[in-house]
Amino acid sequence: MQINLRHKGSVTILDIEGNLVGPNTIALKNIIDNQIQEASGEPVFMILNMERVQMMDSSGLGVIVAAYASIRRNNGRVVLLNIGGNIRSLIIMAKLVTIFDRYDTEAEAIASFL
Amino acid sequence: MGEKTQWRIFLSLPSTMQLIYLLDTVCSDILREMNFDEEAQEHVNLAVIEAGTNAIKHGNKEDINKTATFEFLIEDEKLTIVVTDEGPGFQRENVANPLEPENLLKSSGRGLFLMEACMDEVSYEAEGTIVKMVKFKQSPNL
Repeated sequence: MQINLRHKGSVTILDIEGNLVGPNTIALKNIIDNQIQEASGEPVFMILNMERVQMMDSSGLGVIVAAYASIRRNNGRVVLLNIGGNIRSLIIMAKLVTIFDRYDTEAEAIASFL
Repeated sequence: MGEKTQWRIFLSLPSTMQLIYLLDTVCSDILREMNFDEEAQEHVNLAVIEAGTNAIKHGNKEDINKTATFEFLIEDEKLTIVVTDEGPGFQRENVANPLEPENLLKSSGRGLFLMEACMDEVSYEAEGTIVKMVKFKQSPNL
């Protein structure tokens, strides 16, 4: 799995490529945790670009739910970008559809933070 | 009347999570050979990964000396997957429902729920150290 970290203004964007399954999910968790730590209590605004994620299991779901909870605690926000049908149905199945804001374009996702 | 197909594929893995991807590869090939539709393939793959994670991580505590086994029983109308581990087992009724509002934001505890949601039948035997899952090629609810 590959994760590319970039910033647009105050928004952190993680482009995730590969399957968010099993031990793969640890890399994403570490990057998110580092971003939260580096923010030193300031709100984090984060986009998880999942265009190139075909599959996610409960471990992957756990990482993004934990990110949501941690980031929200400091008045930040994490949103999902470009989620495919598999991930969408997983999120619906787990009743997390009302928790995560989802966008189809990066511009829309960034605008949601303004 | 044609003869019924029945194949048995058996996989025995040392308990390391690195091998979960091998399990996914084997299961994907079986599902393709059986001509399950795409959605069913995704669901069964997810259920197998969750069952494998439970067996290797939670059952065998990633002890490399312990084995998790995966039996794929292929029949014309259904796929049965039996997963066993060498752990202490668990009681299904003691596992919290991840859909309850107080559990929604927990970072773990969704594996069994996803297995049950993705397969047509899931049963637990031998104190939860054996999990049997069935997926029919045509949903029994149709």
